[in-house]
Amino acid sequence: MERNFIERKMRTYLIIVSIFFSILVFRLAYLQLLQNDKFSTLARENRIRLVTITAPRGEVFDRNGVKLVGNQPVYTVSLVNPGRKNIDDVVEKLAAILGEDPGEIQQKIDQQKRSYEPVKIATMIPLDIVTRIEEQRMELPGVEIYVEPLREYPNGNLLTHVMGYVRQINEEQLAANKDKGYKMGDPYGQTGLENTYEQYLRGQDGGRQMEVDSLARPVRDLGIKEPVPGNNLLLTIDYKVQKVAEEALARASQQAIKEGYGEARAGAAVALDVHSGQVLALASYPSYDPVKLAGVLSQKDYNDLFNSPLKPMLNRALLPYAPGSTFKMIVALAALESGLVKAGDTISDPGYFFLGRTFMDWKPGGHGQVDLIRALKVSCDTYFYQVGLKIGIDHIAGMARQFGLDKITGIELPGEDAGVVPDRDTKIEQRLYYLDEKSLAKVKEINQRYNDLLSRTTDENERKSLLSKKSDELREIEWELDWHDYDTIISSIGQGDNHYSALQLANYIAAIANGGTLYKPYIVQKVVDFNGRIIKENKPVVLGQVNVSPQNLAIVRQGMYEVTQPPDGTAYGFFTGFPPVAAKTGTAEVDDHEPHALFVCYAPYDNPDIAIASVLEYAGHGGTIAGPVAEDMLAAHLGLPVPGEPQKNQP
Amino acid sequence: MFKQSRLLKKLDHTLLAVVALIIIFSLVVIFSATKDDTVLKKDFIKQILFVVIGMGAMIFMVNINYEDLARHMKKLYILNLILLGAVIFMGDSALGAQRWIEIGPFRFQPSEFAKLIIIICFAAFLNSRQGKLRSFKDLMPCFAFIGAPLILILKQPDLGTSLVFMAIMFGMLFAAGARPWLLFCLVAGGLAFVSLWIWAHFWCEANSSFHLWIPLKDYQLNRLTIFLNPWDDWHGDGYHIIQSQIAIGQGGFLGRGLFQGSQTHGDFLPIQDTDFIFSVVGEELGFVGAVALLFLFFILIYRCVCIAVNAKDNFGYLVATGVISMIAFHVLVNVGMTTGIMPVTGIPLPMFSYGGSSMITNLAALGLLLSINMKKQNIMF
Repeated sequence: MERNFIERKMRTYLIIVSIFFSILVFRLAYLQLLQNDKFSTLARENRIRLVTITAPRGEVFDRNGVKLVGNQPVYTVSLVNPGRKNIDDVVEKLAAILGEDPGEIQQKIDQQKRSYEPVKIATMIPLDIVTRIEEQRMELPGVEIYVEPLREYPNGNLLTHVMGYVRQINEEQLAANKDKGYKMGDPYGQTGLENTYEQYLRGQDGGRQMEVDSLARPVRDLGIKEPVPGNNLLLTIDYKVQKVAEEALARASQQAIKEGYGEARAGAAVALDVHSGQVLALASYPSYDPVKLAGVLSQKDYNDLFNSPLKPMLNRALLPYAPGSTFKMIVALAALESGLVKAGDTISDPGYFFLGRTFMDWKPGGHGQVDLIRALKVSCDTYFYQVGLKIGIDHIAGMARQFGLDKITGIELPGEDAGVVPDRDTKIEQRLYYLDEKSLAKVKEINQRYNDLLSRTTDENERKSLLSKKSDELREIEWELDWHDYDTIISSIGQGDNHYSALQLANYIAAIANGGTLYKPYIVQKVVDFNGRIIKENKPVVLGQVNVSPQNLAIVRQGMYEVTQPPDGTAYGFFTGFPPVAAKTGTAEVDDHEPHALFVCYAPYDNPDIAIASVLEYAGHGGTIAGPVAEDMLAAHLGLPVPGEPQKNQP
Repeated sequence: MFKQSRLLKKLDHTLLAVVALIIIFSLVVIFSATKDDTVLKKDFIKQILFVVIGMGAMIFMVNINYEDLARHMKKLYILNLILLGAVIFMGDSALGAQRWIEIGPFRFQPSEFAKLIIIICFAAFLNSRQGKLRSFKDLMPCFAFIGAPLILILKQPDLGTSLVFMAIMFGMLFAAGARPWLLFCLVAGGLAFVSLWIWAHFWCEANSSFHLWIPLKDYQLNRLTIFLNPWDDWHGDGYHIIQSQIAIGQGGFLGRGLFQGSQTHGDFLPIQDTDFIFSVVGEELGFVGAVALLFLFFILIYRCVCIAVNAKDNFGYLVATGVISMIAFHVLVNVGMTTGIMPVTGIPLPMFSYGGSSMITNLAALGLLLSINMKKQNIMF
């Protein structure tokens, strides 16, 4: 070949090689000079591992300093650097050890957005599994075992419904709290005080920064930030009363079942300090184990907790029930305040009241001559039928509203229900669900028209005629849209649409006891940080002053006192050896079931400090079943031997 | 043994110096890449041994009369086929491919040596076909000549080495005088065809039940294409590419310092003493170190081109261009791979990646070039 040819070929060759080399140099310049920051960050994310040190949540104490909820260290299994190549293998082995589905673990890994943070795979690992993981450490690169504080309940299920439970934050909660520094796997108060006081209870997580290699073996410690524990709660709850309340509810349920009330499997009890609204006890039965909800929930546990007809998760102290005769003090006060009834006015009770149909008294044959105080003492239905009808529903509902029975109390617990104070409007509301669309539109139109007219008039006679016209129009659409006398009659003994929670009842009894001040019930006295500094202090809040004369209040209180007195008070026989107690029993009829048993009381009668309400579903007579619950709670409060408790120290 | 002083004077000192620098550079970097690992630690010592053996091979090649090689072309060609065939029947497999033959304590990769042998054989072959390379029809025998060993290598399967064979073939055809446009069209057309085939294969897999056959295993396909979008499978096939780019990228201008690379020493960088050794250079010595290494390779190639131009005969010229094509292609594809602009094919960086067969082959090839240089015409390029 000619030399020229060769030189030409080689020159071209060199040019081609030069071009390729230039491309490489440009690529290097791009990666190393232009993108240096980006890749430095990625390299840092590769090697710097931030291991969160979970802060313990605040602890919870009762009013006397008894620890109700604490923390204990538990083992958790995490996976670090899940971007590793043989991750599937590790996941499979880990799943086998933990007895979990590999797919679920993979899902947890996929949910983690930041690849350089450990993914929490499981909590509350028993020691034997920890040992097995440690033994197979070499085959499980990246699997780390950490110790984390987890909720501990020294008293088991005590106060569960008030405290609620803690569980890993879910996606919705994470989205709603994204500014507050939560991340996947963080504990979050799901219900109860754990939820309401989440922002106080959660601590600030600390962290340890480590330099690691690709197998996540620590190379160097780069620094540690100590976690700050959450704030402690000092509750108004009295451990003794609470404990007795929960035990007494269980006993009452057993007793009722023994007596043939097979459905009597649930109930609630509330005790309030009458001078502040502080909750001394708030119990709901049946209860549940919050520990079960902290970790992985088995299908059986899930069903038991969420799908059981007993609804153990439900806080029944906040659930409205028909109050039955425990409502009669409202009617009595309304009657006295209306001026239409005097305390000394008597009626004759033949055992029934007739108005279009027969309304039976609970006692066949009746109570004979009955005045107001005696009517309360023996819980005479006939008396309240007549008195209620005489004063009318507006007086009754007005009095109930003064005692806050139409509103939620505003306690620091989620899920409170306001209940129903029956009157013309709530009756229409209750019936609206059963109307067709055409009638519904008509009702709305009538309501609006008459509300307009009624608001423009001040004349009492015109008001009356307007209301009667409205009644006529409603009656034309449907008879049951209108308020009728029999509605007033049954409402007067706490039946009909009347529905109040044990908390509302206790609060109304507390107002009767303290002379008419309605407090907002509260459970948390103080929020205290881990240094003992008070972060937040709750003081009593007055919701309102009941507009009732002291004389009338005294009459009703005397009636309640008589309830516990011989020879025929409906709660006579309870509270033996106690200071004088004022009480009222309630037996609330329920369609297709046995009646609910209710009991309210306050004590001591002459200088009250505690008000109690208890209710047992489908448990029959209020005095027999719900009474002992209140009695036991009161005994615990007063430091007396608890009558219901099994005798100790028996030979 | 040989006339020392005369020979030494005739050696290309620049080339030798560059080779020495590259090897010293490589030993330092291999030391860095392997010093943390108890198993890999031995590789550093072994590599020094390989360098010594390679130098022996180099001296041997310098001393043989390269013109004699042309006469043994047929024997060499057949020996090559036998060696490559042996790999398939008695080879050890690594990463799903059979590449190794073990003889006693030695373990070698015939496909590395095959590169040099095919250069020599093809040079002799082309030399005998001078002037008969004008048309596509003329090129057919050349394709067949290369095709036979190529098929054996593909059978292993060793995609990287087969690509090196193609590069050697096209480089030498170009040097021998085949029409540049024809070669260009063949290369470009081939690339386009393969790309289209792969693309169609993936498209069919994704969008229809029709399975478009492709002569590659799934893992090969994925490795070939993942460099286009490594984050798609960042903890699978893309992991190497991403970690390599992170290493190089975080090196910056001056690097993180020798033995200071967190990617290298934290073991994030995979196969860091062989295929991805360039990433260690990029991380620890930065842009400056990486470009310096490329510069050394460029000087090496430049010196080889000088030898090619000055070769006494056409055979020498063609052998030289074959060696240049081999080295240049290795450098381009390896660095391209570590920087993420070329597919992961497992081609080592010549005289830099850890590995005996590759080191010996490259030093022997350069020895051959030195031998050609010693008999050069005394006219300067």
